[in-house]
Amino acid sequence: MNSSLEELVTTKKLLVCVGSGGVGKTTMAATIGLRAARQGRKVLVLTIDPARRLANSLGLDSIGNVETQIDIGTSEGELWAMMLDTKTTFDELIRKSAPDEETREAILSNRIYQTLSAHFSGSQEYMAGEALYDIVDSDRYELVVLDTPPAKNALDFLEASARLAQFLDPRVINVFLSPPEERRFFGRFMFGTSAVVFKLLGFVFGGEFLNDFSAFLRHFEPMYEGFRNRHEAVSELLRAPDTSFLTICAPNESSMEVAQFFNEELKQRGLSKGAIIVNQVLPCEGEALDPNTLLGEAASELQGQFSQGTSARILARLGAAHRRLRQHAHIERKLIENIRSMMHDETNTLVEVPRLEGEVHDLDSLDRAASLLFG
Amino acid sequence: MAFVDLIYGRLLLVTGKGGTGKSSVSAAFGRLGAAQGRKTLVLEIDAQNPAMKSIYGVEPGYKPVEVAPNLWVANLHWLDNLSEWVSRVLPGGRVVRLVLNNPLIQSFLKVAPGNRETIALSKIGWLLEEFDLVVVDLAASGHATAMLEVPNTMIGLFPSGPIRREGERALEMLCASDAHLVLVGLPEDMVVNETIETFEAIREKVPGLSIDAVLLNRSSVPSLTDDEQGFLAALSEGEKIESAEELLWAGRWEAQLEEATAHAEERLAERLHTRVIQIPRLSHEGGPQQLVHQIAAAMVRSSTQKRSS
Repeated sequence: MNSSLEELVTTKKLLVCVGSGGVGKTTMAATIGLRAARQGRKVLVLTIDPARRLANSLGLDSIGNVETQIDIGTSEGELWAMMLDTKTTFDELIRKSAPDEETREAILSNRIYQTLSAHFSGSQEYMAGEALYDIVDSDRYELVVLDTPPAKNALDFLEASARLAQFLDPRVINVFLSPPEERRFFGRFMFGTSAVVFKLLGFVFGGEFLNDFSAFLRHFEPMYEGFRNRHEAVSELLRAPDTSFLTICAPNESSMEVAQFFNEELKQRGLSKGAIIVNQVLPCEGEALDPNTLLGEAASELQGQFSQGTSARILARLGAAHRRLRQHAHIERKLIENIRSMMHDETNTLVEVPRLEGEVHDLDSLDRAASLLFG
Repeated sequence: MAFVDLIYGRLLLVTGKGGTGKSSVSAAFGRLGAAQGRKTLVLEIDAQNPAMKSIYGVEPGYKPVEVAPNLWVANLHWLDNLSEWVSRVLPGGRVVRLVLNNPLIQSFLKVAPGNRETIALSKIGWLLEEFDLVVVDLAASGHATAMLEVPNTMIGLFPSGPIRREGERALEMLCASDAHLVLVGLPEDMVVNETIETFEAIREKVPGLSIDAVLLNRSSVPSLTDDEQGFLAALSEGEKIESAEELLWAGRWEAQLEEATAHAEERLAERLHTRVIQIPRLSHEGGPQQLVHQIAAAMVRSSTQKRSS
């Protein structure tokens, strides 16, 4: 029984799963969500991974940008899932925060807004913070499990709202918004009036773009305050005592390096490290096993039903497969011990999850994964 | 063109789902290119944990460093990238540079969406002037697709000016006949799904970019007859011998990997009209550099086999 992980699942309000790609992050997020729901909590698993693998692991064809309840076959506890669609979330945010209909329409039809909301990878992370904040703030769920994009971008996610706040820096905006005759930029003594700056920026970005951009900012202006406040709120949420980060990795060098890097980043940012989960560990004790001694008898009983020599070939094959398994497992063991020794002075736990036979793509297999994860 | 002949192109982009071995495959292409006497660069873009560091033991900087004859590595740290971009792309003159070096404008440029992708693509173009072959170890598929899409977005967004020109230049570079993209996948259902989605997304968003192969990494060649599979299953289902469970698990695991490989190859061939190159599961025991050598050798082998068949 893994009590500290169990405790996180029963007490926290927000669990953020981070780690590199291919380590089963989405599956772990779904597993943790299911476990908490089985214990009677109302849970939402939210994925902002552009790869959108959550539906797959829940055995569904798709989940949309709306919270969808998953039938887990009990009346206690609820499991909900949602895949974040950046553009829709962005549009909703504009609808909600625009002061009047005219501003709303002006923004939604602005070329810069449309590109920003639909095409840039950063927007995904900008919006994730917004959506997350809304959901947690609404108190509709007792626990939200967040599945983030692969590691490099998960850092972007932590920084996204800060970047948006920076993008909306009033001093920058001022250059674009004030009437030309009043545009000043870091004082006239350095650069002259900012009308000159504006003109120079025109060389860089092209005049048409600059006009589009000014219009975009002008319409956006009444909402800056709200954006900045939300940035504060998202940062606070991630630092809250009932938020924890789970670092997921697999026993291979690159994903473990990413996990360590992440652990360090979380420490530096003063964020709560809940646990490191090493997923997909080969189930192998490390001892050499002799197939003839252990299975010789059983195999010879079966031989009659199969073509000649099958038994011997299979036993030889099992011996070879097991040698390869031990080799792989030995390398994995060294990596896991390595990461364990590196975090010896820390309070968070390291949990190993053995590799499952077959893929996780329905609730049954998620339940199996949960029993392996929580012991 | 045989698969390994991709190293005779100028630009080779490598992407795929996270954890599939993109970096090792990029390094292997780099090794093959360098071995042919081509001045080759393996490039990572603003990697926080540069993979080339664990492979070659050298921290790749913004400026390429030579790690073996003809083989160079670099990591495009975006702040360095931004300052080179500003001084090369933006119209000259001290005043413009002064304005752009202003901390406020710099902080704006840093956070402007699409900015990192744009400047990285410009830089790749300049590196192509210095190197015969540039292999780019791109981000995982979702973000790599977003990056490849940026030139078109820029062209749509900027009706004029230097950024538009950079967008046009980048698009031309991606769509040139000597530019190729390779997707790396694994024989697992979820990875195959994502590989197919990525392939289709790139084809739709950057139709001029040539996607030349899907590399099925960590493949297992089917080796069990039906009879042998049946025997293994019967042995597993028979009376349980606790101490032998691990042996049977090892056997089933390998059989499962073989089956998954055949299934993955079939699905990829059915959905994507491109060649599928299998790279076998290789031992990590010799360390990352040894693994890269083995992948390179496997790429050559698999390429010659395809040619003769």
